[in-house]
Formats: sequence, structure tokens, C-alpha cells
Amino acid sequence: MGPAPAGEQLRGATGEPEVMEPALEGTGKEGKKASSRKRTLAEPPAKGLLQPVKLSRAELYKEPTNEELNRLRETEILFHSSLLRLQVEELLKEVRLSEKKKDRIDAFLREVNQRVVRVPSVPETELTDQAWLPAGVRVPLHQVPYAVKGCFRFLPPTQVTVVGSYLLGTCIRPDINVDVALTMPREILQDKDGLNQRYFRKRALYLAHLAHHLGQDPLFGSVCFSYTNGCHLKPSLLLRPRGKDERLVTVRLHPCPPPDFFRPCRLLPTKNNVRSAWYRGQSPAGDGSPEPPTPRYNTWVLQDTVLESHLQLLSTVLSLAQGLKDGVALLKVWLRQRELDKGQGGFTGFLVSMLVVFLVSTRKIHTTMSGYQVLRSVLQFLATADLTVNGISLCLSSDPSLPALADFHQAFSVVFLDSSGRLNLCADVTASTYHQVQHEARLSMMLLDSRADDGFHLLLMTPKPMIRAFDHVLHLRPLSRLQAACHRLKLWPELQDNGGDYVSAALGPLTTLLEQGLGARLNLLAHSRLPVPEWDISQDPPKHKDSGTLTLGLLLRPEGLTSVLELGPEADQPEAAKFRQFWGSRSELRRFQDGAIREAVVWEAASMSQKRLIPHQVVTHLLALHADIPETCVHYVGGPLDALIQGLKETSSTGEEALVAAVRCYDDLSRLLWGLEGLPLTVSAVQGAHPVLRYTEVFPPTPVRPASSFYEPLRERSSLLPRLDKPCPAYVEPMTVVCHLEGSGQWPQDAEAVQRVRAAFQLRLAELLTQQHGLQCCATATHTDVLKDGFVFRIRVAYQREPQILKEVQSPEGMISLRDTAASLRLERDTRQLPLLTSALHGLQQQHPAFSGVARLAKRWVRAQLLGEGFADESLDLVAAALFLHPEPFTPPSSPQVGFLRFLFLVSTFDWKNNPLFVNLNNELTVEEQVEIRSGFLAARAQLPVMVIVTPQDRRNSVWTQDGPSAQILQQLVVLAAEALPMLEKQLMDPRGPGDIRTVFRPPLDIYDVLIRLSPRHIPRHRQAVDSPAASFCRGLLSQPGPSSLMPVLGYDPPQLYLTQLREAFGDLALFFYDQHGGEVIGVLWKPTSFQPQPFKASSTKGRMVMSRGGELVMVPNVEAILEDFAVLGEGLVQTVEARSERWTV
Amino acid sequence: MVARRRKRAARDPEDRIPSPPGYAAIPIKFSEKQQASHYLYVRAHGVRQGAKSTWPQKRTLFVLNVPPYCTEESLSRLQSTCGLVQSVELQEKLELAESRSKFFHPKPVPGFQVAYVVFQKPSGVSAALALKGPLLVSTESHPVKSGIHKWISDYADSVPDPEALRKEVDTFMEAYDQKIAEEEAKAKEEEGVPDEEGWVKVTRRGRRPVLPRTEAASLRVLERERRKRTRKELLNFYAWQHRESKMEHLAQLRKKFEEDKQRIELLRAQRKFRPY
Repeated sequence: MGPAPAGEQLRGATGEPEVMEPALEGTGKEGKKASSRKRTLAEPPAKGLLQPVKLSRAELYKEPTNEELNRLRETEILFHSSLLRLQVEELLKEVRLSEKKKDRIDAFLREVNQRVVRVPSVPETELTDQAWLPAGVRVPLHQVPYAVKGCFRFLPPTQVTVVGSYLLGTCIRPDINVDVALTMPREILQDKDGLNQRYFRKRALYLAHLAHHLGQDPLFGSVCFSYTNGCHLKPSLLLRPRGKDERLVTVRLHPCPPPDFFRPCRLLPTKNNVRSAWYRGQSPAGDGSPEPPTPRYNTWVLQDTVLESHLQLLSTVLSLAQGLKDGVALLKVWLRQRELDKGQGGFTGFLVSMLVVFLVSTRKIHTTMSGYQVLRSVLQFLATADLTVNGISLCLSSDPSLPALADFHQAFSVVFLDSSGRLNLCADVTASTYHQVQHEARLSMMLLDSRADDGFHLLLMTPKPMIRAFDHVLHLRPLSRLQAACHRLKLWPELQDNGGDYVSAALGPLTTLLEQGLGARLNLLAHSRLPVPEWDISQDPPKHKDSGTLTLGLLLRPEGLTSVLELGPEADQPEAAKFRQFWGSRSELRRFQDGAIREAVVWEAASMSQKRLIPHQVVTHLLALHADIPETCVHYVGGPLDALIQGLKETSSTGEEALVAAVRCYDDLSRLLWGLEGLPLTVSAVQGAHPVLRYTEVFPPTPVRPASSFYEPLRERSSLLPRLDKPCPAYVEPMTVVCHLEGSGQWPQDAEAVQRVRAAFQLRLAELLTQQHGLQCCATATHTDVLKDGFVFRIRVAYQREPQILKEVQSPEGMISLRDTAASLRLERDTRQLPLLTSALHGLQQQHPAFSGVARLAKRWVRAQLLGEGFADESLDLVAAALFLHPEPFTPPSSPQVGFLRFLFLVSTFDWKNNPLFVNLNNELTVEEQVEIRSGFLAARAQLPVMVIVTPQDRRNSVWTQDGPSAQILQQLVVLAAEALPMLEKQLMDPRGPGDIRTVFRPPLDIYDVLIRLSPRHIPRHRQAVDSPAASFCRGLLSQPGPSSLMPVLGYDPPQLYLTQLREAFGDLALFFYDQHGGEVIGVLWKPTSFQPQPFKASSTKGRMVMSRGGELVMVPNVEAILEDFAVLGEGLVQTVEARSERWTV
Repeated sequence: MVARRRKRAARDPEDRIPSPPGYAAIPIKFSEKQQASHYLYVRAHGVRQGAKSTWPQKRTLFVLNVPPYCTEESLSRLQSTCGLVQSVELQEKLELAESRSKFFHPKPVPGFQVAYVVFQKPSGVSAALALKGPLLVSTESHPVKSGIHKWISDYADSVPDPEALRKEVDTFMEAYDQKIAEEEAKAKEEEGVPDEEGWVKVTRRGRRPVLPRTEAASLRVLERERRKRTRKELLNFYAWQHRESKMEHLAQLRKKFEEDKQRIELLRAQRKFRPY
């Protein structure tokens, strides 16, 4: 009797007040929305649901107080809207450190201070003699080369100061870090310690000794090493308190030299401080060429000398106004959501704080500004200023001895000088990191300017992990390959500068190389920033090759993706040699149609999906050619999901071409219809109304060529019939085309008569098409099927006024009014809204070539989870369209993979209960209209379906979700998406390859009460299954056009016919779930409410039987007979009926 | 489930099958092979005094819970043991249904249905009420199609016959045209002719057509009136108007603020302000 837990969840409350969870909340919390209107009215306002605000007249029109007026004015001036103001306040409350915690941290800091100054000193030894170090601690530095001059002794620090954001009050939760600077006594250091890493060696030894002593202290929960700013020459010591506060705070100890110890002029970016003779063990080439400058090394030394002065600068400026601090905190959240601040060379919170200081000094930020305005100003600045070309400086002095900005540009890719004018704050930031920041800032500005209602949410609350932000990603693994790359790229000076960190040394040149190679295909190339390692004090620091994987993200430009050609210069131009050198053996001389003979590179790609993957070819080719990184080390993740929408036996295309072929055939047909002679009324419009015609059919149709031996011919009606002794023939779904006829006084004014006239037109259409164009046609009362070039179209004649005729109701006074009826709504949907939607989405596909792939993957997934029946085709298409029309905070997807991930994200987080999903097709809805629709939505929430999609054509009713999904089905989808997303992202981010990508497409079967297994012989779409069977049955198709021109078997799908019967017969007792794309199993869930014994009622006897229960006659479902009915109704199709639980036993 | 089946097997076969008051229960199965059976609940068809019924009183048997695979023919065959059956009608619900065109109103897929079986003699009803069963829908001599067999034959039946359709459309339209012509002739006759009290009926077809009597048309007229009035109105002209519009603006802001506060409250409850 053990109920399966997941099943319980899906069953949730079938029949009880329906539960629709706020998205993301997942399972198990309340928040009910009554299924019927009556219930909602009866119940008190449901929790978790927005109610229209009701304020009394007196409240609305009372005299305003001064305070209120001030606040309103402030909101108007300083914030976008009052909602934004409240949201920002809430967010700041959430990330701020509470006073209570501050007190605890302060107490801990005092303890640390006491202990640090009490660490005993050790006598002086040679730097290379490290025998005095105790056994339990290792030097946190790679000492390569080991030999270095100088002596070391430990003395307690002369000064212990807290630096960084903790004092400024701009540090944000979680991960509170407190930076503490330890000033080393002057006695430890010697002259020329700036040279050849001597200072860093001493710094490391200083920390090692400190670590040993602090590690024995019971005060600390953990003592370990890490790197300051990820710089591997500068270790730092992390201290965390013991006990429950362990996660509260991390204190980072950074040793630094005494003030004025280093002469700044020695540390300019043009100077060398790491001698080749020492580093490479060889003297520089005898020709007297100068030592290469070591700008980064110099910066690292300089950074240690200015910790305090930076703090002073920041605290003087930021303490001017609370708004500035708020702004910095918001900016930090903004960076964090975009993963820009973490890791080596990230755009840290410190940098944005300095940027705020810079903008205050240039008067772009005023102290009266609110946090939101500070955020906006900084974003505006980042979006427009390119620090890779025009650096900025906080330094106001015009001292001629200071180096010029140009010097810094020579040495660094991003330049932002501090107030001393000698230190580049952005020394570790790579050009592509900065470009990524800039790109994000631009997107955010666009979002803020668009006045979108939930801008706050998209800007500050939506995470943008790499896999979801970039169209394609690629992993480089193992990292040790980059060492070889450094040698191949001749990066020895950079290695010397970076102290042997080949990953950082190679990163810049590699990204430049790929950016150049990808050219017009690329919008943005970003790289992941390697995580800063933490290690135990008893271990050696991790090697460079163990520092994770390098992941590159590619944001593709769809326009550039269509070309297979890389056009080079003309052969006789001098640039030709350069082009040849860049592309190597791939460059060929080609003669073009205009007569020019040019160098060119041609990539092999026949289909759209292959063209999308050209960047893969480019990347592997260039990396192998220039950086000596073989193909096996490049793990390109761009198309693993493509396999799921590839047609039968297709491996090279994801079906875009087949869809285009079908659409082209439809265009031909519509031309024939326009030109048809002999129709009593002329055709006024021909519109497609089928997923194929908007490029969203999961498996595009192929031309049908039936093999006559496989069918029973019905010659007199020129049709084919399926045969009993053969497997089920191939499934052919006719594509619906709506054909509007012109209005005329001749149309009757009576609904029944209009139907007859339409039927006459259907017959006439079939006749004329056969006569004039020799097409095989077949007319019924409602449609005409036409066979053209192997595609079957279903033409529906429509008369524009017919919905109106169906709506007309005559009141007793003779007044004619229009009232919606079920029939009129259906007709309007099928003949007006569906064609409009189809053409709008068709247009969307022309703008965004990835739309088709995304929509089809999304549908494939929903159906594979057996939930396809609950969602109208159009509703899922619209959700996919929303990803393209409202991509914020992302850019529109350019690959099916990223689009699908965002679909899962949207589905799993969207709060359907309180928001309609806007799909602003063709941008027809204005902001004001959207606001109006939103308030209308709130007022009418209870009457609307659980999932509401608003389009410009459908502003109130959400026609495509009227018939489903129910709250439970939607909830189940939300839960499944929330599970699938992290799983899939983990697979795709795994550098060893994604593994079995189909895992998230396999449905959980253990939640169902009964499983009906079907025989593959009668599943016509068996091969479309997620795990495509190795062998299936012949479906009676020829590979070449055959002699038969009879109408093929249309829409004959036994599982669907079976399901219709099941739902009709047992729909009020159970729910049935099936994957129409080749599913072999039907899942059945009993509805618990219908299993309650009920008193006898003549109208609800269906499938029940009367039992006497305690002397009373009650009705219960006749389960055993029903289970046998399952087999009887599906005779031939059903293999077994597995009853899996005994839950229903009454 | 196993336990339950055993229990049923152990039950005394003579034990009467429970049935609701007024009804008799008859077990019915698809064929010999099935073990469990559904139950038809039958009673003599009767309606309240005065109400009309399509089916003759006393001779009609009313059947509930007819399984989906049971067709009219098989039901007729099963009931024929009780007496000659005149007609069988299967329906989805308890109400009356009119016969409709097979082209324009195709039959829906059957679920569990109700049936009205009309016997030639009243004795058939009483015999049927005493049936013991179990009835078998499909036997070797009279197989009933289900599953693949049924779908294939359904498909064959659904292949349209354009000639029959044309004929039906033609006859319908002829009748319709005739009806319209008659109505028009009648309307023309009445045109401008006063009735007994001297009223003349004004129609759209007259020499001076009037507004059609539709809701949309009257709304249009009202709208035009309203627009005419607003054009004449002065805005923010008097001091009190100024004051009022300012107050209105403030009220709007207050309302918005309340709405926003509510939204924030909701988001806070959902912990939507945790950024990560």
C-alpha cells in the first residue's frame, strides 16, 4: 500500500481546490487557487496570490502629510518607480550584514589581532634554508627557481589593520570576507627585495610561520592558504572561527611591506624586476637586448604597498552619502549574478568601488544620488567607456615623473590607474573580461531604458551562469596543454612576468586568436575565470594544471553563421601571405564569380545545424595550428542536444531544411489557390495554420511515397487503407491551411446553411484542383485534403462573418447582440487567431534562425515527459517565442542548446500565478498597454486559466491555454524542469563530455498507478522515440516516388485513437499520459476523489458498480473490469497492462 | 488485488448482485476471456405524469452503464432473448438527441453510455429485468471489433464519399432557399401595409433603410454622443477642477504604492529577495 511519493505529488489535489505553486518554490507549500469560480468567491483571499487593491475613498483622498509628499517626490526623482524603490530597499536589507553579526565579527577580529602579535619570532636564516619550518606546514608558494639570495627571520607584525569593504560597510552577504593587512617589520626586508621574487618568498615564509602557530589555536575552525586576488605569488592566510560561526566570516591575512619601503620608480610598468639570468638560468642573448619589462610582477608588489591608502580614499568618498554605499552593494550583487567578480582576474567589488570613486571625482555621480542611480550611472559609464583603449586615472597630479597612460596601455589590456598614478587597478583583468563587463552593462542599460516592469528582477535577481548565457561553450582540458601553447606562441617574457603561470600568460593571446578567427560569427568571446584555490596549510600549493578547466563561452552572431566562406584578400595583395599564415593549410586560392581570385577558407557545412557548428571547426583548427592544442583537448559543447530533434536516420541536419521544403511546397499550393479559375467567389487569403508552417513541428514531414503492396487500395475513392496483416503504416499528418473566401451578399445568414455552403466550396475546390492541376484531392464537409509533391495539406474554407453569425443572439425585444459561444470561439481560434499566430512565428523564425530548434526541443522535452497532452502546441511555441522576444537579461539565443536551457529556467521559475507571460509579437504592445493588461489580469485572475499567455492578438483570454494545462500538470512540469535544468547544465559543463544527454528526456515512470505497454508494431512513430530503437517495423514507404498516386493513409495513429477512447470512457476516473513521439508506455493515474464511494446517481454510473458498504449502497469504480477494458479497447495494440500499486483498493 | 479476487470467488454465487433501488443489475463482459465484469443497471422506462417521451411507456427498457465496446447491434442481440426488440438507441447522456447529418455532426467516440431498448411487447421488459447474465458482448458467432480491427474499419468508414455529401448539401440548400424565398415574399407583402391598429412595420429592406437593431449599433450611437459631450467640456479650467485633478493624481500614486507594497510583501514571503 506504499504510495509512491512522486505520484502523490502529481496527484496533489486532483479535484480538490487546485494547487498552483509559485514557481521555484517547488513542492509542498500551500498557496491555493480554487479550480472553480464559485469556490474562489466563497473562500477568503488565497495566500500567495495577488489581490486587486481596494482602498476606501477616505483613505485615497485624505490630506497628504508632509512626510508622504516628500517620500513621493523622492521616489519620483531618485527612483524609477515606487516598486523599484521598495525592491531595492528589500534587497539591501537582505544582503547587508546585521549589527548583531557585526559585533560577533568584531569580537573575532580582536581575538585574531591579539594572537597574531603574540606569534614568537625566529632567528635569521638564509632564504633557501627552510629547515627551521615545522613539519606540519608547507611554504604556500611554488619556489621556481628555488635558489634566491637573501635572509629571512620572523618578527611579529608592527601593525595589524583591517582593510577592504568590511570597514566601508559595503560588504555583502553571503561570504563575508574581512581583509587584514599585516605590516612586516622593516628588519625582515633587505634592499633589492623587489627583485626576483625575493619579497614574495619572504612574504610566503612569513605566512607559513604564522599559519603554523595559528593552526594550533583552538579559536579557529579552519586555517588554510589561498591567494590574494588569485595571484599565485601572493598567498594569504584564511582564518575562520570555530563552531557555529564558521560560515559567518573569513578573515584573510595579507602581509605587506612597511610604508615607503619600495621605491615606486622601480616598479613602473616599463621596468624589469625579474632577471632572465635568474629566472631562465641563462643570460639574455649576447646582443645586449634589454631585459623584458615585468609589468604584472611590478603591479603585484605595488598592490601590497597601497592597501591602506586605497582604504582611506574609499572611506572618505563613500562615507559622504549612504546612496554611494548602497550603489556599491547593488553593483556587487550585479557582478555576482553575472559571475564576473569571482576567480582570477575578475572584475571585483573593489574595482567597482574605485570606479564609483572615480565617477564621484569626475562629477558623474553626485552624493545626493540614490543607490539605484549610482548603479545606473556606473553601468552607463561601463557601457560607453572602453578602458581597453582609453584608460582612466584617479590621479590628479600632473607630476612629469609619472608614467603616461600610453605606457600602461602597452603593458596591460585594461587600464584604470589609482590615485598614485603608478598602479593599474585592472592589471589582472583581461580584455575579454572587460568586454564581457561592458556587454553586460550595455544589456542592463537597455533593460533599464525599456521601462520593463520587472527590470529589477532581471537586473539583480536573475543569475547568469556561463552555460545559460552563451550559445556555445568549449572546455580546454587538460590545462597542462597550455604550457605547450605558451611555447608555441613564444610567450617566454609573459611567463617570466607571470612567474610561470602559463594559464594566465596564454589566456590573452588565445582569446585574441579565436576572436580574430571567428570574426563575423562572433558577438562576444568570454572565458571563465579560474577559481582561486584554497588548500590546507600542511599541503603544497596546487599546481597550475590542477586549477580546474578553462571554459570559453561564445556568443554567436546569427547573421554571420549562414556563411561557409571566409573571404580573404586578393591573391596578389601583400595581406594574402598573412591570411595564409593565419589559416594555414585551410586557406586556398579560389576564383569567384566576379572574376576576383582570392584567398579563401571554405568550411564543410550543408545544413543549418552544421553551419551553427562551424565555430567548432574554426576553433579546433586554429588551436591546433597556432597553439599546438590537439582536437582531443578541446571539448566543444554546441550541439549535443541536436540529436533529439534529428529526423529518422538523419545525422547531418536538425530538420530546418525539411521544414523549409514543406513551407515551399505550401507556398506553391497557395499560389495555385490564388490562381484557381471557376470558383464562384474569389480567394481573399490563404494562411497556414499548422506547426510545420511556423517551423515548430518537432519532426518535420517528409514526402510520402506509399508502397502499394503495403495498403488496401480503395480505388473508387482513390484512397489507401491500412491492412490488418501489416504493421501500422507511416503516420501522415495533413498540414492545415485556412483559405478565406471573399464576403458576398450571397452567403446565407444562418449558421447551418453557411456550413452547407462551405461544404459545397470544399467539394468544388477538390474538383478544380484535380481538373486544373492534376492534384489528388479528397473533400469532406469541413476540409479538402490535397496531395502535392508527397505533402498532404488540409484546406479549410473559411468565411469571415461566420463566427459573428454563431455569436448572434436575439433578445425578446428583437435586439440582436453578440455573445461568445463555445462554437464561435473555437471557429475564431481556428480560422483567425491560429493563422495570425502562425504567420507571426513564421516571421520570428526569419529573424532568429534558432527559434525553430528551441521550440522543437522544448516541445520534444515536454512530450517526452508524457505531459504533451496537457499543453496546446501553440502555448509551448509561444513560451519559446518569449525567450526570443524577451530575452532579458540575456541576448536572444542563437543555438537550440542555450535556448532550451533558458526554456527550462523560465518554466521552472516563472510565477504563473501572479504574472501573465507577455509575448510581444512584432512589438505591438506598448508599455502602457502592458500595464493595463497586467492590472486587468490581477482583477480577473480567478477566471483565467492557470497559465496565461498574452499576445498582441490575444490580450485577455489566453486562448491557447484555455483547455489546459491544469494546475497539477503545470506544477508537475515546473518540478520536472527544476530537476532537469541543474542536471543538464552539470552535464554540459562537465569537461569530460556531457555523457548521456538523453537522461533528462526520460520520464519518471514510477509515479504512475498503471502502465499500459504498447506493441511497437502498431506505433507508427516508433522511431521518433527518445531512445530510438535500433530496429523497427517497415512502414510501407518507398525511397523513390512510386506509381501510386492514391491518397495515403492520413492521421491514422492507433495509440492516439486508443487514448481518445480511454479518455472518453474513463476520463473522470483516471488521467492518461503518453509521449506521442514513439512512446511505448501509457501512464495511468487514478483520480483519488473519484475513488471515494459515492451515493448512486443515474448520471454518474460510468464504469462504476454498486456495493453495499455498512448497509448502505454506494458506488465505487469497478477497477478490475476497467483494467480488463484497457486490454479489450486496445486489442492488438496493448501488450500488457501492469497494475503497479494497490492504492485504489477500496 | 489478488486478495480481492479470491474473496469474490469465494462469495456465494446465489448472492444477489447489489443494485440501486428500482434497478436490476446484469453483469456484462466483453467475451469469455475476461474475468471481471461490468454491470448494466436496468429499469423500465417511465416519465413523470404529463411529460412527453420519445420512447413508448411500458415497452421501453432503460439501461445505464453500457460499456464503450457495446454497440447497438450487440445490445439488441443480447436483449433479444427476452423478446423481440424493436429498436435500440445509445446515448451519451440522459437527454434527448435529435438525429443529425453524419457529414456535419460526426458521431463522437463512445464512452460509457445509456441505452433505451424498445421491445415489441411489454413482456420483454419484465424478462429483461430478470436476466441473470453474465452477458457476453462478443461471441464467436457474433464477434465485435475492438482495438486495431475497429480502428481500421473506422478509418475505412471515414474515407469520405463526395457524391453523398453533394447530394445532402444540395437537398438542404434547396429547402433552405425555398424557405428564404418564402420569408422574403412574406416580408415584401407586409412592407408598408398597416396592421389592424394601423401600425406600419419598418424593415431594413424598405425604401428608407433604418439602423439595424443590434447591440453594436446602439453602442456606437452612445459612443458618438459621449464623444460629442466631452469635446465641449473644459478641463482644468476652474480652481476646483485643478484641485481635484491634483488630488486624483495623488490618489493614483497612493493606490500604486499600496499595490507595490503588496507585491513586495508577496515576494518577501516567497524569499524572492535572496539574490543567490
